[in-house]
Amino acid sequence: MNRPASIRSAVEARLARRHRSEQRFRFFGVAAISLAVAFLALLVGSIIIQSIPALTTWRVTLDVELERSLIDPRGDMSEASLRRGGYSAAIQTALRRQFPDMETREELRDLFGLYSAVNAARLLNQVVENPSLVGQTVSFTFPIDDAANLYLQGATVRESTAPGPAPLLVTPGEDETVTLAADIAVFDAFMDEARAVARARVRELEQRASRAEAALSEAIDRDIRAVYESEARRARTAAGQLLERLDEGAALVLDAQTPSLLIKAGGAVIRVTEISADRAQAAGEIVISGDAPGGLMADWTLWTLETPQAGRRVSDRQIILTDALRERGLAQSGFNTELFTYADSREPEIAGVLGALIGSVLTMFVTMLLAVPIGVGAAIYLEEFAPKNRITDFIEVNINNLAAVPSIVFGLLGLAVFINTFGMPRSAPIVGGVVLALMTLPTVIISSRAALKAVPPSIREAALGVGASKTQAVFHHVLPLAAPGILTGSIIGLAQALGETAPLLMIGMVAFIADAPTLGLSGFTEPSTVMPVQIFLWSSAAERAFEARTAAAILVLLILMMSLNAVAIYLRRRFERRW
Amino acid sequence: MQISVIVALTLLVLTAFGFLIGRRRALAARGASGGRLHSLPNYYGYYIALWTGGPALIVLALYGAMGAGLVNTLAMTQLEREAAPLIAEFERQLDNDAAYRALLAQAADAELDAMEAREAIALARDAGLDPQDFQSELARQTTRLTETGAQLDARRGEIVRDVAARAPSTDAGIRARAGFEYWISPNERRELFLADARAIAFGAGLASRNTPELRAAALAMRPVEDVFRYSAAGLALALAVGGLAWARSRVRGAFRARNRVEAVISGLLMLASVIAILTTLGIVFSLLFESLRFFAAIDWRLHEFLLGLQWSPQIAIRADQIGQSGAFGAVPLFAGTALITLIAMLVAVPVGLFSAIYMSEYATPRVRAVAKPVLEVLAGVPTVVYGFFALLTVGPFLRDAALFLGYEDAVTQSALSAGLVMGVMIIPFISSLSDDVINAVPQTLRDGAYAMGATKSEAIRHVVLPAALPGVVGAILLGMSRAIGETMIVVMAAGQGANLTANPLESVTTITVQIVTLLTGDQEFDSSKTLAAFALGLVLFTLTLMLNIIALRVVQRFRERYE
Amino acid sequence: MAHDTHPAPSTVYHPAPPGMDTKIAARDLTVRYGGALALDRVHIDMPGRAVTACIGPSGCGKSTFLRCINRMNDTIDTARVTGSIRIDGEEVNDRSIDPVLLRARVGMVFQKPNPFPKSIYENVAYGPRIHGLAAGKDELDAIVETSLTKAGLWKEVADRLHQPGTSLSGGQQQRLVIARAIAVNPEVILMDEPCSALDPIATARIEELIDELRENYALIIVTHSMAQAARVSQMTAFFHLGALVEYGPTEEIFTNPRDQRTQDYITGRFG
Repeated sequence: MNRPASIRSAVEARLARRHRSEQRFRFFGVAAISLAVAFLALLVGSIIIQSIPALTTWRVTLDVELERSLIDPRGDMSEASLRRGGYSAAIQTALRRQFPDMETREELRDLFGLYSAVNAARLLNQVVENPSLVGQTVSFTFPIDDAANLYLQGATVRESTAPGPAPLLVTPGEDETVTLAADIAVFDAFMDEARAVARARVRELEQRASRAEAALSEAIDRDIRAVYESEARRARTAAGQLLERLDEGAALVLDAQTPSLLIKAGGAVIRVTEISADRAQAAGEIVISGDAPGGLMADWTLWTLETPQAGRRVSDRQIILTDALRERGLAQSGFNTELFTYADSREPEIAGVLGALIGSVLTMFVTMLLAVPIGVGAAIYLEEFAPKNRITDFIEVNINNLAAVPSIVFGLLGLAVFINTFGMPRSAPIVGGVVLALMTLPTVIISSRAALKAVPPSIREAALGVGASKTQAVFHHVLPLAAPGILTGSIIGLAQALGETAPLLMIGMVAFIADAPTLGLSGFTEPSTVMPVQIFLWSSAAERAFEARTAAAILVLLILMMSLNAVAIYLRRRFERRW
Repeated sequence: MQISVIVALTLLVLTAFGFLIGRRRALAARGASGGRLHSLPNYYGYYIALWTGGPALIVLALYGAMGAGLVNTLAMTQLEREAAPLIAEFERQLDNDAAYRALLAQAADAELDAMEAREAIALARDAGLDPQDFQSELARQTTRLTETGAQLDARRGEIVRDVAARAPSTDAGIRARAGFEYWISPNERRELFLADARAIAFGAGLASRNTPELRAAALAMRPVEDVFRYSAAGLALALAVGGLAWARSRVRGAFRARNRVEAVISGLLMLASVIAILTTLGIVFSLLFESLRFFAAIDWRLHEFLLGLQWSPQIAIRADQIGQSGAFGAVPLFAGTALITLIAMLVAVPVGLFSAIYMSEYATPRVRAVAKPVLEVLAGVPTVVYGFFALLTVGPFLRDAALFLGYEDAVTQSALSAGLVMGVMIIPFISSLSDDVINAVPQTLRDGAYAMGATKSEAIRHVVLPAALPGVVGAILLGMSRAIGETMIVVMAAGQGANLTANPLESVTTITVQIVTLLTGDQEFDSSKTLAAFALGLVLFTLTLMLNIIALRVVQRFRERYE
Repeated sequence: MAHDTHPAPSTVYHPAPPGMDTKIAARDLTVRYGGALALDRVHIDMPGRAVTACIGPSGCGKSTFLRCINRMNDTIDTARVTGSIRIDGEEVNDRSIDPVLLRARVGMVFQKPNPFPKSIYENVAYGPRIHGLAAGKDELDAIVETSLTKAGLWKEVADRLHQPGTSLSGGQQQRLVIARAIAVNPEVILMDEPCSALDPIATARIEELIDELRENYALIIVTHSMAQAARVSQMTAFFHLGALVEYGPTEEIFTNPRDQRTQDYITGRFG
């Protein structure tokens, strides 16, 4: 029976395999942890990177003349009169003074597209506050339109500049048109580039067309079929038109589907509209005349906008104007304070989180006021006073279950009970606070109970032993010792509530609200939104500029939550006691 | 206004007075008999103060909460009663007005077209097409709808003015007109009307208008309000004085004041813990009540709701279509929820479980010190942030990867991206719960396995995990319940299309997404769409509740075994 | 035994009696838990095919010594073992020795019965399975049966082999654990207070078993009960404050201790 030698060899025979499997198992563990860490790094990293464009913003500063007849139409300097003033017109005049070349409707539309009308309201407020400005020229700064801002940040338009390789003869023609000619094929590189882009675009269009056709074959609804048909037709036509232009021997007509070519010389900018087949001649139009271009120019720049106009929201002209503003020092980049000083807006450049921040503060105040006292009270009762019977068992099971109920269900409760039955106002912080308090309550109760449980029974016994009543023992001795734990749990519960979105959608805190609520008693019933909901709203907004703003808002929220949690951790470290 | 201030101040003084009297009497009782008090003198003070302030405060709170509403209701019902002839006349005219009826039909048409356009936008998005045409169509229909709405309002306004003009300009006539105006107004206008009337009547705040009707309503309110206010104030003061006298008469040296005060305190504490139960009851009843109304609206065809394969609640917008077959078949939502939950669990269970095993069995304290906070941070990230991450980072990446691999129909909003990110969200949940149960497995079991010559992984796989299994299963079930109830990630990243599919690269919809879709935006509370959201909520609540109960019970059993 | 750092403990060293083969030999064996000295330069030779009892007051290092023999101290992060301990002349603390192999040779039974959350059969079959000692099902069945028989449990559990091990009584569980240990046919069996959680009847049963096992295995048993040590062991080692105070044939230790501390302990003056 005793055969140590054979056992030993039997065990040894399997050892290597067993150790390999041990290594494998351990590797899975390391991989799992690394994966979790990588996910977090990716999450935070991608949000930080996406938020970078929103941290700075370009602003335009103009000298705006507040002409008396324009600003004070009634001429009596009353507030009512000042409120009717043509502030937009004043800003427009200032813009036109910068670019006297802009004359046609189309040109002016591009020019005025650089600022959003809401800025006029800011100017109005300045004047109403200080009527002595009327008749003077003020320096007015406004954030530039979001599309132009994204261009200036280099986020949406691929562009390149190169010095002109050979002297260029500019001959002005009719109506701001010019013809350009050089001795060598100065447009060579651009032609190749444009054709490559066009070929890629053709492929893309054809794919779209065939996808639409595939969908068409499955669609039944008449209206939907019509749309698929038109989509397919449009894509095919555009692809066909582009294909024609790919012919190497022909001249290239530049339009919205091709990259754009601009020529800069002195202060003037010419937009090329057609390039001849020999790549040495071109036709164009003057956008900014500067010092009247003409004659043989040696010093000029080829400015290529590789992203076709169809693929961006800023037109060639707006890019030229924006660039000119930057060159003249009128447009400057700075930290995006608008993000913190404005409430929500449809215009990304003046949309901020102020309203949502105030809404969050108000909501959290209500939540704290309800959840903490009630939660701590319930915990004290269940831990210290409640008799052990079926009812308290039921309460306990109930609280544990409540902690795991999906948050959206609390939203449904709020909608059905507080709004529809009690008639409390929709979208108001008070209702949001109550709903979040109910949601947070189980967390506060559970953590407070844990904190109370951690106080050793000897403390209670000592207090009872010297003749204190149960209530005195609890309130004078146990509660102060459990306070740090209770506080920590409450803060963590509040942080959780601060990041909650779903229940607030149910009670209508998802509305677009352009005015920040009052930071006071009346604010509790005013319609408002909160940080996470603002993030949700912005993330579904169409404008690309909102993408970065959403990421920036997320950073603000994360920093808020981290600081709350840091306070909790500090309290835990500072006051933690082990028995 | 002033009377309430006076009452409040008086109450405050009385309460303080009660406290002092209680203390004084207690001290006197001790001095007189030279004997001992049952409680500390302050407790006698608290006792009397409680009886002085408590009941009066409850009366005042009740008055504050419901007084204004009651006064408004009483006053306005009276005025509405007087307006009965006008109301009847108005209804008759409205019914017989051809223009109005034509406009109604037009509005219904526009609404239906807008719905279809909205659906087409979603469809086009899913198919990767440019939805621009549908968007302009939607805009057109929305404009049409608003215009028709404005015309409807205008026509209705004309009729209203016409009817109101028939009332004589006597006091009675104006009162009738006030009642009529109130009756005719939609909810928010009614609130404004009431607020204005109250402003005129009691001078609280500024009225936005001042019409004869409002003045009539104010006049009707004032006497009712006076009755309420004075009786509430009187009652409160009487209760305070009575409570003071009664409590004072009870205070003697041997009186157990402390016990009485403490009974009140523990009563309040109990009330706090009952709130948790009230919340559950509130959830159950509100969900049940609204769901029953929904089931009534679909003629109790419950099987169509639970087993129907077609979910298109927008179709059911017209009254004659409410009960139409298939509009509210929730199976695609259940399937979508199940698919996303499955994907999430496929990510979360292995990663979470292995993290827990590594953390509790292998990791050095230094690794723990890094990894634990990381997992805690993952758990603390708001779900809306995960949603954004899924929408803008994971979704496009997966779509591009699928396109690269030759899958042509890939979309950004897919079950896979939502499920993956949701899995990441649940990792810390599963890992921390599993960590707890693995740590709860007694060390003697591990020692036993090591002493048998087991390697670490063998000890874990053969002994620790089987011992911890119930707890791990509980953690997984709780994680599942979380995945099912999670809202923001799926709302943002899973899409809207109610596809009945098992393909994770398609967009699917879930129970929670549809609840949000049905309840956000402006619609009437009673439409079958909003009621359907509550029925879905009921399904969600029942499902997660069952999972939670099972999970908590399993974990409980596990703990009992090893503690 | 001269140490530079601090004086040698006053160990009264008894070599193994003549005629007894030395199975386990410790030299200068020292264990520290963090900063605390748990075992101080133990020097001992233990025989095979005999029961050696380790006695001493709580915290004297006897369990620590036991855990050195199968390197269970490895599972405690803060434990630092120095010195030498040899089984059949082979160094246990050597880096090249695989604890897995070592523990297959040295079985261990703990204070509290700790059957795995598996069936009775699987509990006993566990060792042979992981070490690959049985070629097939039949061989495994045979090992389970012999082990249970040797542990005196076969008759009681033969008809319920597939019920969970935790369903047995405390004494039965402890015998199941012993059966589990002997299923891999170890050379040495360590027992760490195997009867402290059992009632007197179960204890008597285990003691009988220990006596039977002596014929095939080297048994080292840590016990609090001097009576038990006297009943089951042939050799006895007395530990005090981490040091081995006295070691010798059981009879001698109990009737004629040489050290005053041993005398005081066995007469019940402390401990």
